[in-house]
Amino acid sequence: MPLPFARLLLAGTALLFASHLMAEPKRPECIAPASPGGGFDLTCKLAQSALVDAKLLSKPMRVTYMPGGVGAVAYNAVVAQRPADAGTLTAWSSGSLLNLAQGKFGRFDENAVKWLAAVGTSYGAIAVRNDSPYRTLDDLVKALKADPGKVVIGSGGTVGSQDWMQTALVARAAGIDPRNLRYVALEGGGEIATALLGGHIQVGSTDISDSMPHIQGGQMRVLAVFAEKRLEDPAMADIPTAREQGYDIVWPVVRGFYLGPKVSDADYAWWKQAFDTLLASDDFARLRDQRELFPFALTGAELDAYVKKQVADYRTLAREFGLIQ
Amino acid sequence: MDTLGYLGQGFGVAMTPYNLITALVGTLIGTVVGLLPGLGPINGVALLIPVAFALGLPPESALILLAAVYLGCEYGGRISSILLNIPGEASTVMTTLDGYPMARQGLGGVALSLSAWSSFIGAFIATCGMVLFAPLLARWAIAFGPAEYFVLMVFAIVALGGMAGDRPLKTFIAALLGLFLSTLGIDANSGVYRFTFGSIHVADGIQFVVLVLGLFSVSEILLLLEKTHHGQAAVKATGRMLFNLREAAGVFTVNLRCGLLGFALGVLPGAGATLASAVAYMTEKKLAGAGGRFGQGDPRGLAAPETAIGASACGAMVPMLTLGVPGSGTTAVMIGALTLYNITPGPLLFQNQPEIVWGLIASLFIANLMLIVLNVPMIRLFTRILAVPNWLLVPLIAIITAIGVYAVHATTFDLFLMVGIGVFGYILRKLDFPLSPLLLGFILGGLMEQNLRRALSISNGELSILWSGPITLGTWALVALMLALPLVRIARRRAQGRRVPAEA
Amino acid sequence: MLFQRLFSAGWLIACLAFAAIAWGYHAPFSYEPVGPRAFPLLMLGLMAVALAWQLLRPVPLRQAADEPPLDRAALLKVAGCIGLLLVYAGLFEPLGFIASSWLLGAAMARLYGGRWRAALSCSALLSVGLYLLFDKALDVPLPLGILGFLEI
Repeated sequence: MPLPFARLLLAGTALLFASHLMAEPKRPECIAPASPGGGFDLTCKLAQSALVDAKLLSKPMRVTYMPGGVGAVAYNAVVAQRPADAGTLTAWSSGSLLNLAQGKFGRFDENAVKWLAAVGTSYGAIAVRNDSPYRTLDDLVKALKADPGKVVIGSGGTVGSQDWMQTALVARAAGIDPRNLRYVALEGGGEIATALLGGHIQVGSTDISDSMPHIQGGQMRVLAVFAEKRLEDPAMADIPTAREQGYDIVWPVVRGFYLGPKVSDADYAWWKQAFDTLLASDDFARLRDQRELFPFALTGAELDAYVKKQVADYRTLAREFGLIQ
Repeated sequence: MDTLGYLGQGFGVAMTPYNLITALVGTLIGTVVGLLPGLGPINGVALLIPVAFALGLPPESALILLAAVYLGCEYGGRISSILLNIPGEASTVMTTLDGYPMARQGLGGVALSLSAWSSFIGAFIATCGMVLFAPLLARWAIAFGPAEYFVLMVFAIVALGGMAGDRPLKTFIAALLGLFLSTLGIDANSGVYRFTFGSIHVADGIQFVVLVLGLFSVSEILLLLEKTHHGQAAVKATGRMLFNLREAAGVFTVNLRCGLLGFALGVLPGAGATLASAVAYMTEKKLAGAGGRFGQGDPRGLAAPETAIGASACGAMVPMLTLGVPGSGTTAVMIGALTLYNITPGPLLFQNQPEIVWGLIASLFIANLMLIVLNVPMIRLFTRILAVPNWLLVPLIAIITAIGVYAVHATTFDLFLMVGIGVFGYILRKLDFPLSPLLLGFILGGLMEQNLRRALSISNGELSILWSGPITLGTWALVALMLALPLVRIARRRAQGRRVPAEA
Repeated sequence: MLFQRLFSAGWLIACLAFAAIAWGYHAPFSYEPVGPRAFPLLMLGLMAVALAWQLLRPVPLRQAADEPPLDRAALLKVAGCIGLLLVYAGLFEPLGFIASSWLLGAAMARLYGGRWRAALSCSALLSVGLYLLFDKALDVPLPLGILGFLEI
């Protein structure tokens, strides 16, 4: 295999000549707070390959799996056990923030870590089987209004999860109590797809990336995607947003990284610089598209502000739905 | 025949020297990874994806590599089950039941080769099934909703009753404990945290690897200490390496039955190899009746779960290829790998990229063949493990076990939990409680409870959903049959008993 | 027999305690009639009945033919081994994998009848070898601990 060798050599020489102002962190490691194969794994692998490709890191980050409570175990491990480890990035998603807002992350709150970067997003969506009588979000809302007990909605998470939240928002838009829905908690996008195709549920509250293969296969339709505006991907340009149908629901699923609370400002600045460079590059955009993620780039103080606001919003939402007191 | 043409094309791709070497390397790496308790196919496949990508392997070769590693890991997992009584993962729990007794009788080599042969037949049946029915199978897979899964779990649990043997009460308690432990952590239906005592470490419940390595590996270490103290060897060195024709013929019908069963259950997303191996073992035990020495080293008791695992490992590919839905943890990782190659598994794959699908199926055939060719000569090497003196072997097991547990969460909490579970397991074993019902209860319990509650959420609390479909009705009939079999046998014995005095 | 009874009794008490905890579980949102507490309660209930039965009428233990009787010395060794494993779990991250595994390996090898010299040298080889195998070859990150300075 001559090719990878040559690439390695190239990377090596590039490193020799590139005079970094600051050394890259030792033993770079990305903690994916889930089992292999999930969204967190994907986020880590994205950064892993992109950082090496862009020559920002000389060797790929290690990926450590630390599943548990949508990131709770990893959050606590980072804050308590390695708060000053500059080489440890941990992946987070909007799901982590949502659980953080509901106090499911143990004794730590959103101020416990240094939020570093958000690298991409997906959006929530409402999907039905191709032969469903519902053609638009309006149809569904009308049906729900008429009798919420008639429509079986399945989603990828338990009560209080992102998928549940977006279902609850649709219910609220229809003016009904989320408690009166006929709601089934399944596990992940794959189960939603099987249950929809098998006719066990009628509506799936899911994620746009997870449903694309089935939409392109012509077995499923998306009634609405919870994005600000239509998605640019040519395959998704026809999918209407909830907003344009008159329902102001936006539900992004942002993915990114944070660092331990005691990481030095210099190291934090190095990472921020690295991600700023990365997020601006075309190569990264290509890698991100490959993983079915949409553009969403924030770093440093802007991200910190975004995260804090998001957590506060989630907390309000959770309180309104009676999930927390 | 379109299918055969495509399959031929697939073999054409898979049989190039380059791809054959890839398959060989894959099975070798897979066997080594699978051999290590705690590391299974998920780790093996996850490990090699970036490697395949970095090496710039073309998509077909990458898929072949992954399929080979997957099957290699499945094979490697049984080595520690048979020789050391330490199942590295859920599906091989059943393998220990008769595999380890065989090894203790000095038949370790025979058990290893017989299990390789069985899983080869299972995988062969499953791959043929895929070739013939793949598109149809997609419909079978989606026909299973929560209600169907619930009844299937009831069936499996009733089948578990067959494990009771001569200590029914203890089996019952152990299974209940497993069922109870499966409720720890967040409740997937309501989001309530159960029995976590505010600790985030058990927020997702006890990880299976921690439970299985604690119960089996740690308790085995402690038992070995006792044995060493009294100067006993654990397992006799093995003489014969290969099974003979009579043994192969004796399990052939078992192979056929369990291959079909394993395939049918393997195709269902989420049910997988564990369910298949448990049901296969129980069914064969029931069918063998009093003539079997199940649990004491009956070759049929080894062949049944092994065939089923081999078949379901291949069956799990069906939902992945036809629906784009992962059938198991490993296939979830594989789907991730495929998307890196811009291959979207799912209904369109068969139409748009048939060469990928059939290349994969052909490589499953080849990887299976490779496994048996490669591993039979290596059995001699594996059984050498038993010649390692305890003072070296046990620290090795202890350290590898710790790594396997640490690899799950990368936290030391799990290490403490493992030791605690291990001590508990040791006491249970001293008190003659069987441990495998506990593990199966743990795996099936979660599926049973969640699917029952899902089914009831779907039906708005209507119980009739549990018996309204053809599949649920059919499975209930099987449940009834399973319950009736021992009664039939008792009745027959009574009838015989009546006849004997009449003749006397 | 006495131990078995004591063990069953302890287990039964734990069962009832868990049941008491489970009784308090209720969901703010519930979409099905079963709820989060029914299944654990059922399991615990059945287990309690079975354990009570076991407590009243313990089945005599079968002694496997090849199983030696448990004497005081063996029991002490087992307790020592459990202690070792706990210490290992505690030192795993602070000392790092290599150092802690070396200690555990050597101590365990002694416990299982190895000689001092062989125990120390073999477990050193084992811990370094396993570190290289898992951390470098199999990509399972292991803590370096006090040897952290080795990696640049």
